[in-house]
Amino acid sequence: MPHAPEPALELTGVGHDYRRDGRRGATVPALDGIDLSLDAGEHLVVVGPSGSGKSTLLRLVAGFHRPTRGTVSVNGRPVRGPGPDRGVVFQRPTLFPWMTVRGNVEFGLRMAGLARAERRALAEHQLALVGLADAAHLRTYELSGGMRQRVAIARALAPDPGIVLMDEPFGALDALTRERMQEEVRSLWLLTGKTLLSITHDVGEAVRLGTRIVVLSARPGRIVLDEVSDLPRAGEPGTHPDFTATRDRIAHAVRAAAR
Amino acid sequence: MSVLAPDRPSAEAPAPESGGIAPAVRSFGLRALSVGGFLLVWWAVARAEVWPPVILPGPGAVWDQAVATSTQGYSGHTLQEHLGVSLRRILVGSVLGTVGGVLLGLVIGLVPVARAVLGPFVTFVRTLPPLAYLSLLVIWFGIGEEPKIWLLVIASLPPVAVATADAVRGVAPDHLNAARSLGARPWHLPVWIVLPHSLPEIMTGVRIAVGVAYTSVVAAETVNGVPGIGGMIREAQRYNQTDVVILGLIVIGLSGLLLDWLLQTLDRTVAPWRGRE
Ligand SMILES: Nc1ncnc2c1ncn2[C@@H]1O[C@H](COP(=O)(O)OP(=O)(O)OP(=O)(O)O)[C@@H](O)[C@H]1O
Ligand SMILES: [Mg+2]
Repeated sequence: MPHAPEPALELTGVGHDYRRDGRRGATVPALDGIDLSLDAGEHLVVVGPSGSGKSTLLRLVAGFHRPTRGTVSVNGRPVRGPGPDRGVVFQRPTLFPWMTVRGNVEFGLRMAGLARAERRALAEHQLALVGLADAAHLRTYELSGGMRQRVAIARALAPDPGIVLMDEPFGALDALTRERMQEEVRSLWLLTGKTLLSITHDVGEAVRLGTRIVVLSARPGRIVLDEVSDLPRAGEPGTHPDFTATRDRIAHAVRAAAR
Repeated sequence: MSVLAPDRPSAEAPAPESGGIAPAVRSFGLRALSVGGFLLVWWAVARAEVWPPVILPGPGAVWDQAVATSTQGYSGHTLQEHLGVSLRRILVGSVLGTVGGVLLGLVIGLVPVARAVLGPFVTFVRTLPPLAYLSLLVIWFGIGEEPKIWLLVIASLPPVAVATADAVRGVAPDHLNAARSLGARPWHLPVWIVLPHSLPEIMTGVRIAVGVAYTSVVAAETVNGVPGIGGMIREAQRYNQTDVVILGLIVIGLSGLLLDWLLQTLDRTVAPWRGRE
């Protein structure tokens, strides 16, 4: 099959300034001069110091904000708002407390018009994937932070979006669960060929998971490093001979960007 | 309630809310004590005859009236009938007021133009004492059941509308974003996100509304209010039957407490996440 004509994700000359409440005309520049093009089936991982505009970048792709400058397109069409073609895992879990865990995971399926039995089976499957098969009946406020984050992942994946956007999805997890979830996301990505965009502070995670790694500078975020990598397609990225060198290079760039 | 729970070792603490028999007994005991104390003081003061019985009848006289009105009736109706009619008015009035208030609050909260136009009007109506517009309602609707129900609707609608409107504006943008990213269309949001998000505050509004309906029902029943607790009190006042007046007050107060307890229970069932997000 020939290559898809347009990239799954394309940002050209994207910049974003937040308006500040209270002060008329005052703005906070969060992103500037972002040019980025991502093919379908790639996993873009964005790293950078805190406040460098990583979440802003993700939220522009999700369609939560309109960019102040430039254009964001998904599959060749400019982004006009949020949509079920892009699943989102938020930096802070935004589960619906008025629904059970199952209700949350089924929500996207319900909006897609699936019948009850189908919804149930798919939700059960997603919850099992994140290791929460027996938590389906719980209320979201009965979960720990890490459990909430895993439900958020299951909820985003359930409607089977072509692109998945994850803002520090493993931030609240312990080292062991985090490793398991990383491996889960990697095999899911290998299996489904989804396009992924994720954000992390963990450079090792970026190198294990990203086929494309972008480092943003401190505010306003600009791209200071843009690497292509094949490691995530390897059997065991963590033990690959190139792993350490790549990780050190990126860690160095992040440290430099923070200054 | 949990404030009154005695300290216990943390090993057995995980009981949710009002856990255990001991705290429940203790809390009940304290309440019984305060009611008993009040009755004792009342009895003593009445017994000392500081004021004549027409001003302050004793608990015994009120109790006798309670028995008499429940069995033989007062103004042609038993106490239960008076209370039942009043409760029915409160129920119909505050249910209609709640439904109207939620709808109005949704519109005010979601549509900026509606907020500008209707907001001040709701606030205006909210500040009016029910007795003030009762006269107008009587002119419009006569002295039957209608003006009474309308009075309670008008009294209970604004608190629910204001609570709903505030809650609606407090919905987290990322809850809306999350829903949209999961495929919800804009017209799905009020039912799936905005309303359920606002439930805890709406329930608070409903409790206030029922309270307002309670205080207003006596006002509503000052015109042709028999049967009805307010009507009963008014009749008793005309004949200086202070014991019946006090009996009416006690019955209103107690049934109000019971109703509020029911509403609190309902609140915990429909919005169990309140304060725990
Ligand atoms: N809603 C907002 N209103 C105003 N300013 C904002 C808003 N969101 C983010 N900012 C500002 O934009 C800049 C970038 O924020 P962003 O959340 O994108 O950073 P980040 O890279 O995700 O940081 P972190 O790693 O801490 O999550 C920050 O300086 C922040 O103060
Ligand atoms: Mg962020």
